Amino acid sequence: MRFETHQLAQHYPLLFEGLRITLTICALSLAFGIVIGLVACFGKLRERGIAYRIAVIYIDFFRTIPEVVLIFWVYSCLPLMLSLRISAEASGVIALTLFASAYLAEIFRAGILAVPRGQIEAALALGVPSLHIWIRVILQPAIRRMMPALVSFLTELIKATSLLSAIGVAEMAYQASVLGSKTFAYVEFLSAIGVLYFIIIFPLSIYARRAERRLVSRTAN
Amino acid sequence: MLGYGGQTESHDRTWGQNALFAAFAIGLAGLLAYQVNWELIGSLDFSVVWEYRLPLLKGLGTTLFLTAIAGVLGIFFGTILAILSQSPFAPLRWAVVAYVEVFRNTPLLVQLIWLHFALPAFTGINTTALESGILAITLQAGAYFTEIVRAGIEAVPKGQWEAAYALGLPDWTRWTRVILPPALRIMIPPLVNLIISFFKASAILSILQVSELMTVTNRISNVTFKPIELFTATAAIYFVLGYIMSQATLRIERVLQRSQR
Amino acid sequence: MTEGRGKRGQTVVRCVEVTKRFGSFEALRKVSVEVRAGEVVCIIGPSGGGKSTFLRTLNGLESIEEGEIHVLDVRLPAGKREIERLRREVGMVFQSFNLFLHMSVRANLTLAPTTALGLSKAEANERAKRLLTRVGIEEQIDKYPGQLSGGQQQRVAIARALAMEPKIMLFDEPTSSLDPEMVNEVLDVIRGLAESGMTMLVVTHEMGFAREVADRVLFITDGQILVDAPPAEFFGRPTDERQAAFLSKIL
Repeated sequence: MRFETHQLAQHYPLLFEGLRITLTICALSLAFGIVIGLVACFGKLRERGIAYRIAVIYIDFFRTIPEVVLIFWVYSCLPLMLSLRISAEASGVIALTLFASAYLAEIFRAGILAVPRGQIEAALALGVPSLHIWIRVILQPAIRRMMPALVSFLTELIKATSLLSAIGVAEMAYQASVLGSKTFAYVEFLSAIGVLYFIIIFPLSIYARRAERRLVSRTAN
Repeated sequence: MLGYGGQTESHDRTWGQNALFAAFAIGLAGLLAYQVNWELIGSLDFSVVWEYRLPLLKGLGTTLFLTAIAGVLGIFFGTILAILSQSPFAPLRWAVVAYVEVFRNTPLLVQLIWLHFALPAFTGINTTALESGILAITLQAGAYFTEIVRAGIEAVPKGQWEAAYALGLPDWTRWTRVILPPALRIMIPPLVNLIISFFKASAILSILQVSELMTVTNRISNVTFKPIELFTATAAIYFVLGYIMSQATLRIERVLQRSQR
Repeated sequence: MTEGRGKRGQTVVRCVEVTKRFGSFEALRKVSVEVRAGEVVCIIGPSGGGKSTFLRTLNGLESIEEGEIHVLDVRLPAGKREIERLRREVGMVFQSFNLFLHMSVRANLTLAPTTALGLSKAEANERAKRLLTRVGIEEQIDKYPGQLSGGQQQRVAIARALAMEPKIMLFDEPTSSLDPEMVNEVLDVIRGLAESGMTMLVVTHEMGFAREVADRVLFITDGQILVDAPPAEFFGRPTDERQAAFLSKIL
């Protein structure tokens, strides 16, 4: 077979338009996911009470059901239940936000719980105000500690955006399959987006692995 | 989280958080009360799920079948590739690394449609949706399992290898009695977690209409016009099964941790 | 009440029938004791007997179930604000140093003065330098805790507590996790602090130090203060069976 580069040359702007949508949706659901993830994380950190129970159920539920199911549920059920019109893109962002917030909550929690008790006690004993304890003594080292997990989750989120092609969001995977079926140049377009995904995701996972190793060797000392 | 020693501590330290949670809850409740179409929700009829129980169960069967395939074939390929990755022949090691990285760093969906639509252009063999699905999930599972098995093998301390060599143990005895038992203990929790994640990932194959639970749900929903009932029921099925599996994994992890001491 | 070395001061710590429970376990049982300004009180006893718990109730790191504690002008149990105010006037040094690992020595010393006392950066910095000179490690100001020896870390921790200019200092086994050759450099600093007239409560296993520096020695076991005596009397004529058994094991 021949690799028909002219098909790519002719249609590449559509692929990049898809890439733009992929990255936008990723950024939005990451941002909303961080906010809701923090609320869920603090809920679960309380270890008892109503907020705790709701947070646990929320986190377990959205971590356990498949992302595709979540996407279809939000896309086809939520608009009916809320009698609202929700675009495919918005449905995608909502679904991925639910997905991301549940995973992020657990990442945040693990990072915060990894801060040694003695660090907090020392700050309390000095009379440091609680806001400053949270920022300087708990969150600052916690964020450094959770970076590998955070970046590694980001790669999962990028991969998950490709699932939005199932509900017709014009992201990268959708553009490639539409162009493929139109021109029958499946090999060219699908290979091209495969390479694009790899170029975006691979450096992130290399970073995550390196940072993880650094963290392990530092805590081992 | 921040313990204050006084008796009024629980009041003092949490009222700010309480306010936050309350605001969140009130906002959400307000939105729901205002927007939710209660009439529609009142008219939901979950009997449709019971009516179509047989196709749904059959779909679930396919989902579990795909999970099992990903698990069994994935572990099989993963173990072989992990052993190859220890080979002294460098190009072979590079090939394993390239395979693992490509399949771990691209979306399963893209692998799936590539294998289904692009691969036949090279091989001339048209695969059915189910065959493409099995191929994709097995290849990806193989890549992830390779990493796990390799990490397990490499976590066995060097001294264990050296002791086995120093005693002149035969290859087979060295692997089965010295290296694999401790490696397996390290590998089991991530292996089981991976199988759960492929239980979830099998739903992605619905893109190609691979008659697993998600495809079946979609089809019935298109015929009956009852998406809420069906998708909710399917979400519940995935949740219950996935939750049971992950609780079981936690239990296994705890047992393994205890036996290690 | 014993008077130590002619020092006389107001009562700054007064515990009345303090009981502390962890679940059904009574860590402290109706403990009553007073400490006056300028006194150095060493607390001795077998591990698990309640020494550390007692010390940690004094700045509210442990809540108490019964009784009350007066420290300076604060009556415990109290609300968060009161406890925060109290902690600014009561310094604490931990067995495991608990320096903020992700901050330089300078940041360790300036965090509390700038956030809790409202000192300017420059003022806090001056204070930090002065205190590090006092504990003999001014040249380490820009290093991180991980780059320092245990003895140096503990001296930084003492300087960090002093940076709040506390009226009382609590030491919770300050030398127990140090290598033997580093114990003295830390004890020297604490000794110097005692000579300057600081009110101190020191949980320790260093009997020589206690005998030399303390005005009073408390013997705590099973959650109770069994003996409260000047060091000469405490080490010379044991009055309690358990105290005698403990001393014979240690000395």
